[in-house]
Amino acid sequence: MAADNRSGTVSGMTAQEAKEFHGLFMTSFIIFTVIALIAHFLVWQWRPWFPGPTGYASLIDGANYALSYLPSLKA
Amino acid sequence: MWKIWLLFDPRRTLVALATFLFSLAVLIHFILLSTDRFNWIEGPRAKAAASIEMPLIKAV
Repeated sequence: MAADNRSGTVSGMTAQEAKEFHGLFMTSFIIFTVIALIAHFLVWQWRPWFPGPTGYASLIDGANYALSYLPSLKA
Repeated sequence: MWKIWLLFDPRRTLVALATFLFSLAVLIHFILLSTDRFNWIEGPRAKAAASIEMPLIKAV
């Protein structure tokens, strides 16, 4: 048992296995985080979840300001 | 950092993490569906919609 270095660890993994699993885990974790960040960015564009000091109406002004340029884009 | 897997069993950790993240996601999605502002399926309820329309008309 002691020859394969498994008995010394709590999880029963060798250092090599732990390193290999850690690489997989971190890759998956980073991909998950990037997808979550993109989703949060899109939801914030749709409807921000923190109102400004004067409530959500102040954010609508900004949206209307942006929308006022839409007709000029069509022409 | 990789030494964490010498301490925690990866199989149990993955099951626990997946269970936790899924429960949290379901909880947050249901909370959002229960609100007027963030219900993406049915939109705001009729009564709340009237109070939201007012500032929109003024702003335009």
